Amino acid sequence: MIRGSKQVLKYIAERTIVYVATIFSGVTLTYLIVKAMPVDAVENILFGMISSVGAVYDPESVILLRKNLYEIFGIGGSPIESYLIFIRRVFTFDFGPSTIAYPTPASEIVFKRLPWTVGLLLASTLITWTTGNLLGVIAGYFRDRKFARVLEGIAITLYPIPYYIMALILIFLFAYLLRIFPLGGGLSIIPEKFDLQLVLNIIWHSLLPAASLILPGALGWSFLSSRTLTMQTLTEDYTRYAEVRGLPGSHILRRYVLRNILLPQTTVLALSLGGIFGGALLTEIIFAYPGVGSIAYRAIFSGDIYTLMAVLFLSMIGVATGTYLLDLLYPLIDPRVRYR
Amino acid sequence: MAIAARFMGKIVSLFVMLYRRNLKFRLGFTIILILLTLGFLSFFSPTNTRTWYVAPRDRPPSLEYPFGTSSMGRDLFWELCASIRNSLTIAFVTAMIASHIGLFLGFIAGIRGGIIDRVLMFLTDTFIIIPGLPLLMVVTTVLKRYLTIPFLGMLISIVSWPWPSRQVRSMVLSLRERTFIHTARLSGMSTSKVILQELMPYVLGWHLVNFTNTILFSIGTESGLAILGLSILDDNTLGVMIYWALNWGYALFRGIWWWLATPVVTLVLTFVSFYLVSMGINEYVHRLVR
Repeated sequence: MIRGSKQVLKYIAERTIVYVATIFSGVTLTYLIVKAMPVDAVENILFGMISSVGAVYDPESVILLRKNLYEIFGIGGSPIESYLIFIRRVFTFDFGPSTIAYPTPASEIVFKRLPWTVGLLLASTLITWTTGNLLGVIAGYFRDRKFARVLEGIAITLYPIPYYIMALILIFLFAYLLRIFPLGGGLSIIPEKFDLQLVLNIIWHSLLPAASLILPGALGWSFLSSRTLTMQTLTEDYTRYAEVRGLPGSHILRRYVLRNILLPQTTVLALSLGGIFGGALLTEIIFAYPGVGSIAYRAIFSGDIYTLMAVLFLSMIGVATGTYLLDLLYPLIDPRVRYR
Repeated sequence: MAIAARFMGKIVSLFVMLYRRNLKFRLGFTIILILLTLGFLSFFSPTNTRTWYVAPRDRPPSLEYPFGTSSMGRDLFWELCASIRNSLTIAFVTAMIASHIGLFLGFIAGIRGGIIDRVLMFLTDTFIIIPGLPLLMVVTTVLKRYLTIPFLGMLISIVSWPWPSRQVRSMVLSLRERTFIHTARLSGMSTSKVILQELMPYVLGWHLVNFTNTILFSIGTESGLAILGLSILDDNTLGVMIYWALNWGYALFRGIWWWLATPVVTLVLTFVSFYLVSMGINEYVHRLVR
């Protein structure tokens, strides 16, 4: 018993080290690549100042200003120095000031937009997972019925389509052809107070973006995988035995099939929940949705490296934590897996 | 070389068999053949599909212009052919590089085990947690001036090798413990021979599935980048067609639906056809493993 718990502790310690190290090397790698971006925020600001009409600047003061700006943004100095500054900032979760919205801290900008992204992705991930799995189980159980075949055909068509192509198709159908939904944006009224009308307006605007994420997911991956798993479970000996014993179909479906397919599907849910901080960048941009993805997009084009790094860091933490928790908890959910 | 030729022969005979027996594979492969034909036609294009205003503008589909013309004055049919060729080239380059890096690393990690396995999987995990699209957006911004069609394919493979690598590794791990591998090792076969003669036939099917999936991923990623304006905007790809239709032509607002519909429908057909092929191979592989 004591030896067993020691093994568990060793496993947890090992996984934790790998978890931290993965994030660390991920951050370093992205930092190096982001640093190589040719867009320089300071030069952009200076250029904007100098080229504005009627502006006359003393060359020396411009040089001084440039030096000061580099210092404020922490971009100057030797590469190793600025890397160390950056790493210290990452671990206090203060990414330094945003260069285009100076002096607002980058993390503040990101956190302000985070509820939009998390709201959209959390809702669509959960809806995708539940409806996809339910439909998959039903289609797997009644696999010879006509509706099951039709669903399979739809799923095979929808699954490989990336969500942003789906977004274009949905815009074409519902905003252009039928003109039911708005073309984009997060809300169309100026919020005065937080009331029902505002909430409804937000939901109305997020329906199409959510649909572009849900359709390829729910009718795609979740559906197809849970359908395959159901059909596999139905051929197992214990399910056959339950049928022979004369148990009702609904009982078999609930107690034998659903339980067994929930295990692998929970893994997928955990992984996709880890991904919700990264945002669905393209959907947000196509629908002009005010989430984290739009910030990342703007940051890349304006050379706002701290804001970009804050977004990337958040999404890396999300994915890594999802995998990490899954590795720790999986042996608890599934007793067949041992801590190695 | 002889071994490569043998594997090619195996793949060809597998395709012929699947084409005869598997409906999904046949359907997908037929669409791919049509797409390839269109791509090949682009070599005989009567107009330069990269210049503007060579055809009348905004013509709806007609006998003379089967897919209509765009506001940029391009015949959409020939632009589509060139786009299919370029998009497939990008995808093929990515699949060739990424799936083979994945195959190689997966084999090494799975066979060697121990510290090598840990280091390689650590590297793989690092790349898995980095969000792929933003990373590529940064990289393409940095290298914007040097982008060419094959180079873009190479760049996309930076983010597409980790999953194949993990897939192959877990395949190898489960195969390694089988009796016939032990027999081969005990009879004094070298590691490279064990890989090529004993393991490869089993992994080949998975490798093909990974290959087709990487093609899908690459075409999707390129069009995603292009929609953001980060692909090669002065060349023709399916994504770039969408970019111009959306951002320059405002095709939807002005009712020039055929401009947007042409690349979007083609993309959907491409995705579905490659997915059907991958499903067909997958069904065969599952039967083989059982």
